[in-house]
Amino acid sequence: MKFTWFNLMPWPYLPDDFREKNRSVWVDIDQKLFDPVKSHEVYNTYMDLLEYAGTIGFDGIGVNEHHQNGYGIMPSPNIIAAGLARRTKDVALVVLGNSIALYNPPVRVAEEFAMLDCISGGRLVAGFPVGTSMDTNYCYGQIPSLTREKYAEAHDLIIKAWTTREPFAFNGRYNKLRHVNIWPRPIQQPHPPIWIPGTGSAGTLRDILQRDYAFVYLSWDGPKLVGRQIFDRYWQLAAELGRDQNPYRLAFLQVVAVSETDERAEREYAEHLQAHYRSGLGAIPATAMAVPGYAEPAAIEGMLRSGGHGGMLARMKTATYREIVDSQVAIVGSPATVADQIEAFVREFRIGNLLVMLQNGSMPRDLTEKNISLFAAEVLPRLRPIWDAEGWENHWWPRGQGTAGAVPKAAGAVPDAAGAVPDAAVGGRA
Amino acid sequence: MSTSAAVVRDETVEVGGGRLRLHVKVAGAGPPLLYFHPLAGLTWQPLHDRLAAQYTVYAPEHPGTSPGDPEAIRQVQTFWELLLLYEEAVRALGLQRPTAIGQSFGGMVAADLAATFPLLFDRLVLLSPIGLWRDDAPIPLMQMVAGPPADVPGYLFAHPEVQAAQLPADPEQVPAAIAQSTWNIGCTTKFAWPIADHGLGRRLHRISAPTLIVWGQQDALVPVAYAAEFGTRIAGSRVELIDDCGHALQADQPARTWAAISSFLARDH
Repeated sequence: MKFTWFNLMPWPYLPDDFREKNRSVWVDIDQKLFDPVKSHEVYNTYMDLLEYAGTIGFDGIGVNEHHQNGYGIMPSPNIIAAGLARRTKDVALVVLGNSIALYNPPVRVAEEFAMLDCISGGRLVAGFPVGTSMDTNYCYGQIPSLTREKYAEAHDLIIKAWTTREPFAFNGRYNKLRHVNIWPRPIQQPHPPIWIPGTGSAGTLRDILQRDYAFVYLSWDGPKLVGRQIFDRYWQLAAELGRDQNPYRLAFLQVVAVSETDERAEREYAEHLQAHYRSGLGAIPATAMAVPGYAEPAAIEGMLRSGGHGGMLARMKTATYREIVDSQVAIVGSPATVADQIEAFVREFRIGNLLVMLQNGSMPRDLTEKNISLFAAEVLPRLRPIWDAEGWENHWWPRGQGTAGAVPKAAGAVPDAAGAVPDAAVGGRA
Repeated sequence: MSTSAAVVRDETVEVGGGRLRLHVKVAGAGPPLLYFHPLAGLTWQPLHDRLAAQYTVYAPEHPGTSPGDPEAIRQVQTFWELLLLYEEAVRALGLQRPTAIGQSFGGMVAADLAATFPLLFDRLVLLSPIGLWRDDAPIPLMQMVAGPPADVPGYLFAHPEVQAAQLPADPEQVPAAIAQSTWNIGCTTKFAWPIADHGLGRRLHRISAPTLIVWGQQDALVPVAYAAEFGTRIAGSRVELIDDCGHALQADQPARTWAAISSFLARDH
């Protein structure tokens, strides 16, 4: 298995009464709550810790893009990733990702991701989310009913920019470019592995599998509440589309907190986890997620009749520690407790790439350091060999210097001098 | 002033070189009158019955908002294309200089049609249209669309507490009704998001049809300040402001709204 510590970079100083006094943590969050002077320490602490994680056993470190958001202060993940690229050596840089419909022209993403891949020596995972309504439609003003079209065009343009070896013209609906000819281009050929974060709609899953990308389920609800319906659908679609059951096609994001014992974990983490859910995800108005123009009438009617997907979102504003832990929205406890729970759902749902969120809400530096250290030392080693016996290759892992290539050690293949693995099927579609 | 309910029939008209079949509700008899509906789609109301007593009312459904035909919206890429499709529809229906009434989103459509094709309409009535923007009078359209459903009446009505919910009485039909109106808003906001300003303010001077602008003084969606913005840009237009009245004029003040419209239409221009 591959393990990535993924950090949203939350603003850790939201007041205790944030959720009572603020309508939303996103879009129209109170400007005055951001303190630029304090942010200097916040940014650098998070970057220090991500760099540290890269030295203690994690395979990847992850960042993402949010705008006008109190629990994600990274409008540009590429800036953070560039800093991390310089100060790390052998971890993958998992950028999950750039909301490609927001870049004008999206060639910018092809260029910046190429730069990150070059600076890091071929360690980039390129994430292409469609983007949430909050970022895409409310903050960046994209028209909801056109977002997917614009995303699809941006995707095609970026892939073509990465894989075409001479200048070409691109006459799209949203992008009119006479000369596309990116300098530089990525080390990883034909392009870095592509991961698509999403919430698991059938159309998105089908696209991912057809293009041979990896699907990242950015669950906010843990594996228990919604895992069954999403992952069963994914593997069933894979079979229908003639794709293998390689667990590395699938990545999953899980909140985790580890301490010496279950009791101690509760003492140390409860208040920070409650803050994370109550002032973070719980402080997004539910209606803002369902902007008209995304889902068609039949899909909306289906959601209304089924009463949603059974997740925790509606209850997060008041979630208690006990609810969070019992539902596995967060997996918390001793190394054995945490490893047992993760191993069970990883095997059940065939997850090859695990993203763990180890810093949440108001969790301070020392506690975060403890969490990532304990996870790396006592949880990760037990889980790492889960898929080794089946002998799958991770075609969705970067092949650059020191990242252990695309192949688990057991399988014996070694990247060649250029960092390329014989099977160049990464990202498939090229 | 009660009017018996008109018999409403569905017509379709092919536009866009055969790409799109536009659905049009038709009722009444007399000279042609086009009605362009607001954001959430076409709802046939007593106002339409009153108009149908004097006119042949043609009420096109914005592409994608006709039940059973959601994909039609994909055939309209830009607001400019939407205007061209409606102008084609007027000719395809054989309407000679119809009167046009546009409400809210439909008001923007009707106003831009009248500005783009100055000879298209005989007369124009704009009921609290969107289409302009002033920084000192922001239009909370995005807030209404994104906010809790319970807040929506507050944007539309001067007295939201007395307005009956627009949902069907049969609970079994509620999910489909919500789904349809949500999709409808997606189809109209395609041309109104995030700010419904397609440069109409730079074209309004081209309108030559006699024009009436009607606004509710308590409009919480499109502030009444916009009445004068339209009024001063459209030469010779008449502005009627209705007190104790919100965005949905004919719901809040049916009698006064009808009086303003009918007296304007009855006059020789």
